[in-house]
Amino acid sequence: MTLKQALVHGLWEDLPPFRLVLGLCPALAVTSSAENGLGMGLAATFVLVFSNMFISVLRKVIPDKVRIGSFIVVIATLVVLVEMIMKAYFFPLSQQLGIFIPLIVVNCIILGRAEAFASRNPVLLSMADGLSVGIGFTISLAVLGSIREILGAGTWFGWQVFGASFEPFEFMVKAPGAFICLGIILGLMNAYSRMRGETFIQT
Amino acid sequence: MREILRLIVVLSLICGISAGALTVARLNLASRIEKQSDFYVRGPALERLFGKPAEELLGNKISLPIGDHLYPIFYLTEGSEITELAVEAPGPGGYGGDIIVMIGLDLRENRMVGMEIIQHSETPGVGSRVEKASFRKQWQGLPVDEPVELTSQGGQIDAISGATYSSKAVVNGTNHIIDLIRRHRDDIMAVIKAKGE
Amino acid sequence: MELLYLAIGAIFVNNILLAQYLGNCPFCGVSKRLSTSVGMGVAVIFVCTLSSIFTWLVYHYILNPYDMEFIQTLAFILIIASLVQFVEIFMKKQSKGLYNALGIYLPLITTNCAVMGIALLNIKHEFNFFEMLIFSIASASGFALAIILFAGLRERLMISPVPRAMQGTAIALVTAGVMSLAFLGFRGMVQ
Repeated sequence: MTLKQALVHGLWEDLPPFRLVLGLCPALAVTSSAENGLGMGLAATFVLVFSNMFISVLRKVIPDKVRIGSFIVVIATLVVLVEMIMKAYFFPLSQQLGIFIPLIVVNCIILGRAEAFASRNPVLLSMADGLSVGIGFTISLAVLGSIREILGAGTWFGWQVFGASFEPFEFMVKAPGAFICLGIILGLMNAYSRMRGETFIQT
Repeated sequence: MREILRLIVVLSLICGISAGALTVARLNLASRIEKQSDFYVRGPALERLFGKPAEELLGNKISLPIGDHLYPIFYLTEGSEITELAVEAPGPGGYGGDIIVMIGLDLRENRMVGMEIIQHSETPGVGSRVEKASFRKQWQGLPVDEPVELTSQGGQIDAISGATYSSKAVVNGTNHIIDLIRRHRDDIMAVIKAKGE
Repeated sequence: MELLYLAIGAIFVNNILLAQYLGNCPFCGVSKRLSTSVGMGVAVIFVCTLSSIFTWLVYHYILNPYDMEFIQTLAFILIIASLVQFVEIFMKKQSKGLYNALGIYLPLITTNCAVMGIALLNIKHEFNFFEMLIFSIASASGFALAIILFAGLRERLMISPVPRAMQGTAIALVTAGVMSLAFLGFRGMVQ
């Protein structure tokens, strides 16, 4: 894989969580508003880029038998770091995201990229891969959050979108709305892929 | 054997470096995290209690260790006299665990200025109604040295209908603070004086 | 009585999967057949209870007294990962039957956010030991209940005429949404 491919594959080909159906929990849980989705995406991107970097640097040192354990330690360290940085500089957002910040540690995207990519590729390429998948994830969460916030609360990043007479569908910001919204977006993306003649179907 | 030794060395090295990095980060960020949490969590409560901007009030903070709990206390002074206190303590018995309550006290008149909820995990829309102004208003002007109680138990606080547990937890928190002031008033004053000098 | 409310609340009202959004990856991944979802559900109940006990003890007797709460996340994931490994080795040695039934689900559980999530929620809600025990078992049972019901629905979906684009995960998520809507009906059962 070339650097250019590594930089773009996360934006459509392996776009999480739509094409690469991983990391569903944060995608459902924190996307009740666009701001939360964006914040979560950026936090995960930070962890993804640096975990890919460290794991790629250490890939020849880490013995194969304890590789998952070592990855988890690296990822967890970065997550704790993100937790502290968010509390120190973005306190209200960190309160909103709550336990979903520590839960980045069990986000399958991050461990998945570490195992599938960073543990066999050079440093620069791994960081590019992390950045690309991370940005893809951030955009997806922000879009999902925007749709749910606009329909469910009538606002976008806190700004009033519709007039005062708009009655928000509260359903959209609750749990069922999250599942159904994500399901319909997946369906639309499948339909689009098929129109372009790609043979991709989620299993 | 060598293989196992290598596993152990690599794993412990990674863990050691991680722990080191986190400790350094923690040392650098801890005070900032505390300031942020004071500003966003306690700031609005203090502003409502004393009607002054939070920046002015947050610096006047002491932490009083009693038993294994650390009680945050904020104070206001006029000249060298300590005029008002805001004391924070947990009230046990809420539906979702302790409710953290803050009481503002006017020391000159020995009366409460008001009550604020700092943190709770009550059911949204039910127990969370203890945050409503109409409920909190009941604390204004209560004497500092008498325990409070729900009206159903012969006291002066009307519980929120359908949220007796949550209301009771706030009452418990208040009594916790009243008890703290009764027993440790001199300690508190001494710590504040010591900080002023 | 309090504990009963806690248990019912955790299973139905705040169902870990359908209301708190935890553990969705295995929810979509291993719910295609009823038998595998039963295996996953039982494995989660087992690991979750054990890991909650260990993480609770470590938090209250090591992290909290020595003022090290900030590494909670790191400590918990390591406890869960090593516990899962240990259970796997122990099961392989002691009980071949159980290992054959549950063994393949164990590695998946390390990255199941329901397990880690319940451990974190136990601390966040400041539960005492018994509350923690009840909450963990009830939440994990809620997960098992949801995934087993869901697998039943998905087996029916396999033979239903679903539009091409919606096949697979897409229709599964919409189904989960409808199920979550049904579970919203339990609100008000416990206040």
